[in-house]
Amino acid sequence: MDPREALRIAARSIRAHRLRSGLTVVGMVIGIASVIAFATFGASVQAAVIGDIGDTNANNVFVTPASVDDESPGGEELAATRPVFTDIDVDRLRELPGVEAVIPQGLVGLSSVTYGNQTVAQQRATATVSETFTDADTIDGRGFETGTREAVLNEAAARSFERNVTVGSTLQLTLASGETRNVTVVGIVSGTRGGFLSGFGDDAPRIFLPVDPFYTTVVESPSVGADVRVYPQLTVVAAPDAVPSVEAEAEAYLTGESDAAQLLAEGVEIRVQTSEDIVGAIQDVISQITRFVTGIAVISLVVAAIGIANITLVSVTERTKEIGIMKAVGATNRDTMQLFLTESVLLGTAGAVLGVPVGLAVAWGATRFAEVGFTPAVEWMAFAVVVGVGVGIVAGLYPAWRASKVDPIDALRYE
Amino acid sequence: MCPPPNGRATNGASGTGSRSDPADADADPLVALDGVTKTYDLGGTVTALDDVSVSLPAGSYTAVMGPSGSGKSTLLNLVGGLDTADRGTVRVGGEDLGRISERRRAATRGTEIGFVFQTFNLMPRLTAVENVALPLVFDGWPRADRLDRARTVLDDVGLSERYDHTPAELSGGQRQRVAIARALAPEPSLLLADEPTGNVDTDTGASIMGLLADIHDRGNTIMLVSHARRIADHAERIVHVRDGRIERIEAVDRSGEGGDGPA
Repeated sequence: MDPREALRIAARSIRAHRLRSGLTVVGMVIGIASVIAFATFGASVQAAVIGDIGDTNANNVFVTPASVDDESPGGEELAATRPVFTDIDVDRLRELPGVEAVIPQGLVGLSSVTYGNQTVAQQRATATVSETFTDADTIDGRGFETGTREAVLNEAAARSFERNVTVGSTLQLTLASGETRNVTVVGIVSGTRGGFLSGFGDDAPRIFLPVDPFYTTVVESPSVGADVRVYPQLTVVAAPDAVPSVEAEAEAYLTGESDAAQLLAEGVEIRVQTSEDIVGAIQDVISQITRFVTGIAVISLVVAAIGIANITLVSVTERTKEIGIMKAVGATNRDTMQLFLTESVLLGTAGAVLGVPVGLAVAWGATRFAEVGFTPAVEWMAFAVVVGVGVGIVAGLYPAWRASKVDPIDALRYE
Repeated sequence: MCPPPNGRATNGASGTGSRSDPADADADPLVALDGVTKTYDLGGTVTALDDVSVSLPAGSYTAVMGPSGSGKSTLLNLVGGLDTADRGTVRVGGEDLGRISERRRAATRGTEIGFVFQTFNLMPRLTAVENVALPLVFDGWPRADRLDRARTVLDDVGLSERYDHTPAELSGGQRQRVAIARALAPEPSLLLADEPTGNVDTDTGASIMGLLADIHDRGNTIMLVSHARRIADHAERIVHVRDGRIERIEAVDRSGEGGDGPA
């Protein structure tokens, strides 16, 4: 029969049972909405994280030692790593083609920081070079100069005192050894380049100091025989289109005749990763979590599907007589099936169409709450609509088949 | 009152048909049952129809009469293509209903045959016009055409004022008129009526029977099933059924009645 006519008849019988149809649709809305909400929230978080990392670290190649069987992105934590990269390595890496800067990072052990009358505990400062600061990330002031007693703070560190630290303030650092040093704050930054995930989740207070004169960890360089500074981590900043070649060359050098290769402890290897590698790894983790949670939401879709099947079955039983009448006046088994399928597809589609905005609204609320940008997962919306229609078909198939098999004589006798 | 013996032709205009009258085979009857047997399995085998042969000429008005359980409803269901025979053939308009596909049989039910039931069997949520148009939906008529046709037929049965009423808003007699209009909507060659006055009062029943008589006068073939002599008497002839067999076929003498029943 004409699909438009089937639609009209199906819509009429849905309207005739408003409450029952309404509840079925609500089940469907919850199913579709939870899938959309979780998927969209996951996509939003992912986009926010990648945005954070991508901005400052786009062309960075991270070099760290990592234990051979450690599969985690980034390897071991800075503090736990024995430094192996010497100043000699830094200088040689800097000479590789396509390298814009090499940023070594080391730790300076502290016990506390005093500003004015207030002293706060601070375990460490990051010793690095001035290339770590970019104009884009500098909120106030400038980067420090090597060989001076200057410091740069991130925003969290600047706020960690009752009276906000500003450019020009003087801090007194108490080193782990107990000695004190006065430094002048010359800049406040929102992030840095170099350093693992330095742009991501940077809420911990961080103090940056020039390696000269603050970083004093030295080792005898195997290549030149003299004591030189040695760092646990390097960041090689590549020219925009040279990332792959820089990654390859840095890896070739470091695993070849570098100081680092000779200083490495047993069971430790040098890991060279681009920010893309790390972003990819994080992306994998987030999308796995998203898929897992969305999978749970899919269960509610299945429940909704069973609801539709149940309602359509009830509908078939209840309308046995109508089926008999329709058959008596010329409805084929196929017409009967078509009518009931149309009905269940209508319910499924209504659920999907209403579920998408509800899911988006919930996801939007969640992104506000989590303070990440809202990124709608478009492909999941399409998925939801397809699933809605599909659920309608699958859930309606058996009841509709039952309807088509109704014996008109029995049905007409049915009261 | 005294019925003639089985198969005797007394009404020249409408002709007769029975298994004992081979002459009728040449007349190309609209409905022809030949050796039809139908059994049901209801805990034990019940033979509803046992080797029944009968035919209805086009334009005839036949009543099938018998006590309940005699097999008269089964006969109606078989002729109406709602059921198929275990043995024998049921032909309507030359088509063997037992051999055609379910789809074809449904289409025949929709276009060649009109049903009128004791309990009306209207769709409760559809208006009178929509109920009447329902067979045309399955026959693929465009919406405007079938609603036009439905209104025309409703006018014919005297319900011009009740187009948009649902069955619940109609009296029993009006419902049965809607049902008759629905049966007539596709211009079927055969009208099947199963106790059409069983659920209405006597006066209404009389007017329903009058309507059926009008319909017959317009050239339609009617097969009526009833257990009541008073109703069956409206037909041209009465097929008496008992225990799944045709007991006798009686021609109704209307000369004494002065008309086709009450107006």
